[in-house]
Amino acid sequence: MSASELPQIPMLQNEPAAAQAPAQGEPNEIRDAIEAAIREHRVILFMKGSPEAPACGFSARTVAALQDLEVPFAAVDILPDPRIRQELSAISQWPTIPQLFVGGELIGGCDIVMEMYESGELADALS
Amino acid sequence: MPSAQEIKQRIEAAIPGSHAEVEDYTGGGDHFRAIVTADAFAGLSRIQQHRLVYDVFGDEVGGPIHALALKTQAHAPIPTP
Repeated sequence: MSASELPQIPMLQNEPAAAQAPAQGEPNEIRDAIEAAIREHRVILFMKGSPEAPACGFSARTVAALQDLEVPFAAVDILPDPRIRQELSAISQWPTIPQLFVGGELIGGCDIVMEMYESGELADALS
Repeated sequence: MPSAQEIKQRIEAAIPGSHAEVEDYTGGGDHFRAIVTADAFAGLSRIQQHRLVYDVFGDEVGGPIHALALKTQAHAPIPTP
């Protein structure tokens, strides 16, 4: 099983990183796109790399837990543009990656997800 | 480059009544694992407990501190609804 749906964060396709950081007061398209993705996908994981090729052990463990529960989830790779991570952490008030959201709420990073996976709470939260 | 001892002291200084066990699990001074127990965690969700600890370090987590793996627990049992 893999991520069934890949949300597109606009401005990241074929755009050089940091080419157009929004000026003060201008609409922030990256932040808007992240917020929309969180709203529109019930289970969404922001991670380093992809579910097929995680680029960090914490992301890999989180993906493995979700895949073990056979829950479809959307995944966003935060690595292509440093602004994704900046904006994500500003929205979530959470400093590290991965970050799992369910129903628009931050569930946690790798530690919390793994604790919940082992206790069975994750299956409940995702059902 | 912080040491495990420094991370422990900063957590314990910032969160009253807390006890932290910190391990530098790569030996490189940038990947840490901490088990933190604090009365202040009572009644808080895991997210809120972890945020209290992350807040001690601000931008350092994700910067010089690449990883701070956390396990948090309150001294008193958290009442279940």
